[in-house]
Amino acid sequence: MKNQLLHVFRNTPFGRETLLQSVYFCRMTKTPINVYIPEFPQFLMYFEKEIVTVDLDRAFLRDPETAREHAEQIIRSQGLKPNFFTPKRFTASTLPDIPVDFRYMTCPRTISNLSTKVSLGYIGPRVRNIIKNASFPVIIPSPVYKEWKRITVFFGGSANAINAFKAGIKISQLSGLPLTLFTEIEDPYTEESYRDILRENMLYDEIEKGNVNWLFFDKGRLMEDLYNVPHDALIVVGAYGHGLIKELFFGSTLETIQSVLPNSMVIVGPNFL
Amino acid sequence: MAAGRGLRLSPRYIFYSMDERLKLIIIGAIVGIFGGLASVALNRSLRYVSEILNTIRHVRYAPLLPAIGAAFSSIFLRHVVRDLGAHSVPEVIYSVSRKGGLLRLRSSFSRLVSGFLTIASGGSAGPEAPVVISGASIGSNIGTIFNLRDRQREVIVGCGAAAAIASIFNAPFAGIAFSLEVILGEWTIINLAPIAIASVVGTEVSRILQGNQIPFHHRIFHSGALDLVACIGLAALTSLGSIILIRLLKMAESHFKKVTSIFWLRAALGGLIVGIIGLFLPQVLGEGYEVIRRVIGEQYSPGIVISGFATLGKIVATSLTIGSGGSGGLFAPCLVIGSLMGLFYQSTIASVFPSVMWAGESYFALLGMAGVLSSVLQAPLTGIFLVVEITGGYDFIVPVVLVSVISATISHYFEPFSVYHQELIRRGELLRPRTDARVLAELSVMELLEKDCLLVHPEMRLKEFVSIVQRSHRNYFPVVDSKTGSFLGMIHLDDVRPYLFNPGLYESVIVGEIMNTNIYTVSPDDELADIISVFDREHTWSLPVVQDGKFLGLISKATLMDHYRKELIVQEEK
Repeated sequence: MKNQLLHVFRNTPFGRETLLQSVYFCRMTKTPINVYIPEFPQFLMYFEKEIVTVDLDRAFLRDPETAREHAEQIIRSQGLKPNFFTPKRFTASTLPDIPVDFRYMTCPRTISNLSTKVSLGYIGPRVRNIIKNASFPVIIPSPVYKEWKRITVFFGGSANAINAFKAGIKISQLSGLPLTLFTEIEDPYTEESYRDILRENMLYDEIEKGNVNWLFFDKGRLMEDLYNVPHDALIVVGAYGHGLIKELFFGSTLETIQSVLPNSMVIVGPNFL
Repeated sequence: MAAGRGLRLSPRYIFYSMDERLKLIIIGAIVGIFGGLASVALNRSLRYVSEILNTIRHVRYAPLLPAIGAAFSSIFLRHVVRDLGAHSVPEVIYSVSRKGGLLRLRSSFSRLVSGFLTIASGGSAGPEAPVVISGASIGSNIGTIFNLRDRQREVIVGCGAAAAIASIFNAPFAGIAFSLEVILGEWTIINLAPIAIASVVGTEVSRILQGNQIPFHHRIFHSGALDLVACIGLAALTSLGSIILIRLLKMAESHFKKVTSIFWLRAALGGLIVGIIGLFLPQVLGEGYEVIRRVIGEQYSPGIVISGFATLGKIVATSLTIGSGGSGGLFAPCLVIGSLMGLFYQSTIASVFPSVMWAGESYFALLGMAGVLSSVLQAPLTGIFLVVEITGGYDFIVPVVLVSVISATISHYFEPFSVYHQELIRRGELLRPRTDARVLAELSVMELLEKDCLLVHPEMRLKEFVSIVQRSHRNYFPVVDSKTGSFLGMIHLDDVRPYLFNPGLYESVIVGEIMNTNIYTVSPDDELADIISVFDREHTWSLPVVQDGKFLGLISKATLMDHYRKELIVQEEK
């Protein structure tokens, strides 16, 4: 796996905001950035079990002559070294293959539709497909650049939530920012049930060391409880439940979170390594 | 109770604990059914629509039909299903070669529809390429559903391709040969069994739905030794025709790209020229099976000049249709070109040697078909089996083999690679099983990275360096900047040997003075095949791996060879 973040650059004001978010993430986690400036309207990502065809919206191909310069300016302004990804493999002459062994990838909420469709509550089908198949977490930045000062992991006890917690710890350790665990207690579980899950997965050490602040909410009103999530937190959340239906659609917790919170999010899919 | 539960054997459990070969055979049969159905669907639709369109081929606007069909085909692929893939068969080979047989689900129907639009409207192409990618994609996705490993999925992709070819031509052996020779490039028993089953199932599906018919019936031949000698000349002619076809295809593709960047206009332009050619030579339009039927049935005797022009016309029309972006395959055009070429050849030798009793037009037409197909595909077995099966001509297998092999050999000299493999070979993407390139492609630089090297800094004195040398078991010492960590160069033990035995220099020489900065570095993304050539070119045993200016580790020839051997064993076991 390459210790890099892949960013597909859109040479528009909206794309600038997204790149700024990626650069900030890279700066905080000391991860090199690798920018792909598309030359073709489509690219393929060959995951282990599925090929994801990413149809880019037209804005990704806009003003190719200034795209590289703009991206370089933004990256350098944040003190990072720009790296540009050039596809080596092509399924067809106009259909590049993008590797899937990056550590992170940034996707706006939609990659195939015009950016005017970007809004809370909407994550495009291609982005969902990438999340479903990727072994790396996908960063979904907020529409406007905003620095985050803390990390909040949503933990509901599922396998994906455990992966989200692992990803959150990693980001917290790399960035030195505090980590908060946010748990909405669901029947028939208790606080202790959730603690046991972490113990079983040998992750309770982090809690015992006092590195994590764990907030429990037991009113069963997630929408209202989300108000407690700080505005300047990076949200880390697991995607997908266990069943077939939940594999096809996001779990409802994620849907609620992504519909309500305007924060930048890191979504950890079921194939996270 | 518990024991009862333990003994319960679910179908899922039985299937997943089954012998691998049996499992692949069962999945191959399932793929064979769907591959066969896809072929029948395209074949039936083409026949139905072609019959309707044939009634208006004589009207003034008829040349526009192939243009409209090609444009719609292109628009459908680009805008409706957004399938921007390569020509169908190379895409399947690429997926087998590089991507563990993964193909997109949309390819299972997209090329069928686009191929239908191109061919039914009169474009000079065949339905085989669309059904091959459709069958292969069905196989790939069924393989994924069954959770198959890469190597197993590749075989199932081969099953889909075999079933499609077997079904569309009612030719099971040709399906097997095509899959093994062209798609997988590997003849092993583990491949053969499921592919043979898929091929047979695909053929049966076609026979149930369309009847068991030999597509091109021929009369009984009375051939002699002279006919056999004449085959050599025909083989030379068919190889010439194949070379012209392959080169014209390449030319058309590159020239149309220059004419306009609007893809549908490009396809329409190609279709329009084909339509105009079709006004004068209607034989060139469509898949051309009717032409073959008439030639083989000896109901088509246009004479030397017309058959010569028809041959050239079909070559040009096929190049234009496919080169301009139309959707379709080369099998059918190759068969038409071969049959017309055989006819031309027979007419020529009959007029030059009028006293000789030649075997007949259909004899040479059949041999011509085998010759052109074998040459263009560089797959003589596929050519032989296909022609023998679609004509029921088992009685003349000797001349078919002769023409196929000679023709493929001659054209191999001028065009060394199959029309399907050329582009992949140029890009270095054709990795056949058990070849060096394939084994190396399964490994990555990061897997071979040796991180146990001791780093030194340029300002370090020789004395300190010598103490590091004493602790190290390696001969290479990477030099990195002590502040930024950037890679600066390397020191090989040989570089410092002159200084080692002169303690007087220990305090006065620093590492920066003796390091070698002219070092070839590799990146984690580099291909191992390329790195091996660097080892050879630089005459070195180790190379530094550097990313973003930072030293990651060393890659050595010895480790690479060790992993190569292990990977080879793994691939053999698979």
